[in-house]
Amino acid sequence: MTTTTPSAGQRTRPWPRYLSIAQVSLQDAVAYRVSTIIGIGVAFLWVLILYFLWRAAYARAPLTAGYTWPEMRTYVVLAFGINALVGWRVGSLMMATVRTGDVVFDYVRPLNYCFAQLFRACGYCLVEGLVSLAMCLLVGFAFLHIAAPASPADALLFAVSLLLGVLTKALFVFLVSLLAFWTLSGLGLMWAQQAVIQVFSGTIVPLALMPDWLRTLAAILPLRGIVATPLTLYLGKADPPTALGLLALQAGWVAALLLLANVAWRRAFDVAEIQGG
Amino acid sequence: MSAVITAEGLTMRFRRPVKRPGLAGSLKHLVHPEYTWATAVADVNLSIEPGESVAYVGPNGAGKSTTIKLLCGILIPSAGRVEVCGLQPHRNRQRNAANISVVFGQRTQLWWDIPVIESLRLLGDIYSVPATEYQRNLTEMVDVLDLAPLLPVPVRQLSLGQRMRCDLAAALIHSPRVLFLDEPTIGLDVAVKAKLRELVGRMVRERGLTLMLTSHDVGDIEQLCPRLVMLDAGRVVYDGRYAELSRRFAWETKITASSAVPLDGHPELAVAQIPGVTRTDRPDGTTLRVWFDNRVATCGTVVAGIVDQFRISDLAVDEGAAEDVIRRLYSGDLEYSTEEPA
Ligand SMILES: Nc1ncnc2c1ncn2[C@@H]1O[C@H](COP(=O)(O)OP(=O)(O)OP(=O)(O)O)[C@@H](O)[C@H]1O
Ligand SMILES: [Mg+2]
Repeated sequence: MTTTTPSAGQRTRPWPRYLSIAQVSLQDAVAYRVSTIIGIGVAFLWVLILYFLWRAAYARAPLTAGYTWPEMRTYVVLAFGINALVGWRVGSLMMATVRTGDVVFDYVRPLNYCFAQLFRACGYCLVEGLVSLAMCLLVGFAFLHIAAPASPADALLFAVSLLLGVLTKALFVFLVSLLAFWTLSGLGLMWAQQAVIQVFSGTIVPLALMPDWLRTLAAILPLRGIVATPLTLYLGKADPPTALGLLALQAGWVAALLLLANVAWRRAFDVAEIQGG
Repeated sequence: MSAVITAEGLTMRFRRPVKRPGLAGSLKHLVHPEYTWATAVADVNLSIEPGESVAYVGPNGAGKSTTIKLLCGILIPSAGRVEVCGLQPHRNRQRNAANISVVFGQRTQLWWDIPVIESLRLLGDIYSVPATEYQRNLTEMVDVLDLAPLLPVPVRQLSLGQRMRCDLAAALIHSPRVLFLDEPTIGLDVAVKAKLRELVGRMVRERGLTLMLTSHDVGDIEQLCPRLVMLDAGRVVYDGRYAELSRRFAWETKITASSAVPLDGHPELAVAQIPGVTRTDRPDGTTLRVWFDNRVATCGTVVAGIVDQFRISDLAVDEGAAEDVIRRLYSGDLEYSTEEPA
């Protein structure tokens, strides 16, 4: 039970609209905290499975594609936590409104649909994302011996990269969910996007371990910005020029995706066949 | 142009896939899609002045909701022009949104899992409603719609009637200039209907709100809308005062005459000869029913003709109330005659 005092009346001026959206989605996420925590717990099993698989592999070969075991275990645990920062919630909500036709209300609000969804994602990110990241860090540092950032400078680069990564994923989820305006049913899209993100972001394995053709592809696509780039910087595996190059690539992709998203949603609104009387 | 809402030749066609039944049909459609076109709204012309209240009625599937969606900028017209507050809604969705509001009776715009007051506050922020205006609107709506006990409750825990009250408040929180209501009172009890009508009526009277309402409930129309636009199969068949509806369409008046004793012979044959009488029947031994065209004959001449045949003990004249006229128009019992009554 959420108790709220009608505090709105005491405000002297309205909040900025997108901030208010983020705040409400945060409240929404809190309302669902139990299911959120269960979801995170179940997904965390994957971390453990990957962790022990890699440990067995490293028992035979101490160095794989340039990663030592302490680096690899840090990568595996943090990769999960970082990828979980932005979930599917906003995507599935978008698809549901298209399917039922409730999307009509998004047509009659003085909002940029893309920004509204991104700020909504922020609200969920703050609750669901941070809870799962905190859980990874907690379990990781306490039991799985993950390493701290390689240096304070690396920590800073990592933080910037992480922020860009969150935006990249939120934009990607937004763009994929927009396809529901054309296809109506979103379940297939959801699974497909999940698999694509897990592979190309480097959540399952670092890019360095991928076969050549896949690595080349993953290296230029935007999805590496979600997990692989922040973690490369965290582990201090890029020299300063490379690190700046990686950040520039990330930032460039974010700008491109943002542009694309803003063209795409207007198009989607125009083609959609609104369901229901 | 002073009108708030104008539509000229507004037309909406929907594409429907033609799918033969079964898997083979689905596959065939995938390879070689076939479509048919259905016209939901055909060449509609409307001009609505500021502060006017217009009821938009018509049988199921007539194209009412489609028109509302066109006027809100949700759908893009296949042909024709729309303008709302000087903007073409589908070309300026965000700017248009600040002027209008829409309530769909079977949907909610409130956030499902958070308390109602939070949804209202969020809408206030989205529309950048100044704090004093927000407070004034909220107080008035809480008062008229009796919302106080509902404000702290998440929407998913509300009954339909409670939710609709909150939805109306949500639609009015930013003081829109134009309000579209698509079947707002569907499934509501009389008391809740009265509350909704009271609030909307008040906004129209006191704030100059322009209202366009679709409904199958004649009470909504009677109490809120002096003007009525009727749609059939996507076309406007009537645009005028609600009170004039019966004069326009109910040109047939029914007279039921009873006798104290069983009727002898066939008085209906003689009555049928009276000029203007369209048909007659004898539901039982003592009663005669006569329908006549009230543009041609008057009640007096027809009754005089009946009196010539037998002694009337009881007489009822049924002119057809507007509600009855609407029902009979929908069922095809009355014709959408395009001529003005003579
Ligand atoms: N997305 C759509 N795709 C195809 N046809 C549609 C679509 N939306 C509506 N229609 C068709 O357009 C016609 C008008 O529908 P509309 O919802 O406007 O009717 P209505 O007057 O609101 O009826 P009701 O009183 O039942 O609500 C119907 O024949 C309907 O089948
Ligand atoms: Mg309808």
